[in-house]
Amino acid sequence: MSRKVKANIISITVSLLVTILLTSLLLTVIGRNPIQIYSMLAGEVFGTGYGFGQALFKATPLIICGCGLALCFQASLFNIGAEGQLNVGAFVMSVIAYTFDDYLGLMVMPAAIAGGFAASALWGLIPAYLKIKRGVSEVITTIMMNFIALALVNYLLIEFLAVKSTVRTEKIMEVAFIPKLSEYSSLFQGSSANVTFFFAILLAILMYYVFYRTRFGYEIRSVGLNPVASRYLGVRTNRVILWSFLIGAGLTSFVGINFIFGYKGYYEFGFSNNLGFTSIAVTLLAKNNPIGIIFTALLFGVLDYGGLAVNTAVPKEIMLVFQALVILSILAVDKTVKIYYLKEE
Amino acid sequence: MIESILSLTFLAQVLRMFTPYYLGASAANFSERGGVINIAIEGFKIISAFSYAFFTLSFGNPFLSLILSVIVSLLFSLLYAFLTIKLKINQIVTGVGFNLLMAGTAKFLMMLVYQSSSNTPNFQQIPGLPFVSDIPVIGKVAGDYIIITGFALVFISQYVLFRTRLGLRLRSVGENPEAAETLGVKVRLYKMYGVLVCGALSALGGIWLASNQSSFSDGMIAGRGYIAIAAMIIGKWRPVNIFFACLMFAFFEGLEITLQISGSFLPSQIIQMLPYLITILVLIGFIGKTKPPAADGIPY
Repeated sequence: MSRKVKANIISITVSLLVTILLTSLLLTVIGRNPIQIYSMLAGEVFGTGYGFGQALFKATPLIICGCGLALCFQASLFNIGAEGQLNVGAFVMSVIAYTFDDYLGLMVMPAAIAGGFAASALWGLIPAYLKIKRGVSEVITTIMMNFIALALVNYLLIEFLAVKSTVRTEKIMEVAFIPKLSEYSSLFQGSSANVTFFFAILLAILMYYVFYRTRFGYEIRSVGLNPVASRYLGVRTNRVILWSFLIGAGLTSFVGINFIFGYKGYYEFGFSNNLGFTSIAVTLLAKNNPIGIIFTALLFGVLDYGGLAVNTAVPKEIMLVFQALVILSILAVDKTVKIYYLKEE
Repeated sequence: MIESILSLTFLAQVLRMFTPYYLGASAANFSERGGVINIAIEGFKIISAFSYAFFTLSFGNPFLSLILSVIVSLLFSLLYAFLTIKLKINQIVTGVGFNLLMAGTAKFLMMLVYQSSSNTPNFQQIPGLPFVSDIPVIGKVAGDYIIITGFALVFISQYVLFRTRLGLRLRSVGENPEAAETLGVKVRLYKMYGVLVCGALSALGGIWLASNQSSFSDGMIAGRGYIAIAAMIIGKWRPVNIFFACLMFAFFEGLEITLQISGSFLPSQIIQMLPYLITILVLIGFIGKTKPPAADGIPY
């Protein structure tokens, strides 16, 4: 095992331990027994098929969005705009789905998915263009585009497309739904976990292959590490930046598959509930590695559903604190390991 | 419609809404002038607004609560400074983490202490200046300590940044830290000053918003921390320009509220979008060129 891989394992383990420690401390301070809370969480998530299914269901969009973000982050593009991109994409996806399901039948699904992808990618085009042509930091533009996206979708919904006195679109036809896992195994009875989960796993594996086994992936990582050197090596950096941004943003729209086709059948304003930001934590924790993202997303999925499970003992918002602590401690521990173990700086 | 915009009440409202924007934008500016990007202004406002609610509901003394909430924000700023300046961690991801941490903590504590996911109980506002605050309409602006601070800050920050040794050094650290260090400037110390001032000023903005609505509620900051950053960019990192940018955004917000009341020709979502759209247009280069401090965001 190379020193670098060891360092990664060390920093992920240590930062998780630090987070658990800090959270336990917080729980103790407010007069709760941490062991009791953790065992309650574990019992609910791993002891019941329903709880486990819910955790998978919550992990699914995190894997998908994480893969999209990893593509940007690998190219050193700080895409903070996933929240906006995925909302635009999922919205367009649902509009296409319920508008054309009468004409296209089951073919409506690929059409809707393609449309959603295009919409999200288009939303990523503006920051990418500004980055390449004007040298404007993508951080600021993606943040701004988040707000524009949410306001725009909200406007279109309320003024034109929403079902009366709701903030959601019309429902797609029943046959277009993706099967739930509970249809195959009674273990998942009642949970919303659906086949999209396996699609997400496949996507992660595909992304892993792209990053580490293809020329495009090599170019992305090389631009991410050192754009100047890459240019001298003949990599067309601007093209790499453009495509990673477009595809990365586009992929975030696939979270709509889980919610629209796998769960509710419509787009609902606020469905993402900060998913675009939580995914940043998931991706960073996995060090932009798609296979790692599967595991970190599962961890966050467990926490997400686990929060509901322990809600009677401690407010479920404790998981928001936990997730934020994970991201900050991985950053801090990672840097410390770099300085003292890898002696990089 | 036109009458309601041209009224004194409307003007007073704009001047009031200006305050949290300018405090936030000025906060971000002090940090970035020292070369540290802080996209967590939103989170700092959230945690200090909640702290203010918590302290004032617990102790009842608004001024004590104000000081305590600023201290809370400063403690978070110290942690931010440690991570970004001492450990040199990427400022953007640290900022994202801080936003999640501070928003999450506020939500968690609100649920824990007040058993509500939406808002705290009501409390008294910060009392205004004696006599002045009793004047109708104007009193609500001219009698408010934080609003006065906000307006004074335009001059203070202009003076501090461009007319004092502290400001010169802070700017030199943000423009060219190597050169500054060669001249004997303690680069990291000045960066920390910037981050701390940023924490204190954004806290004031959050506290004002909480005091203004007499409670803390989930989502009450409503992106004002980000709009503040937008105002800083449009204002080209210059206190006076930022003043006009904030005034413009405050006007939009006042307009949005007025239109909601009087029935609108423009949907409110479009007005909500305006600050962000304008920022994008400025960045594209349609409305003048904008250039951040040279070493902005680069750890040293």
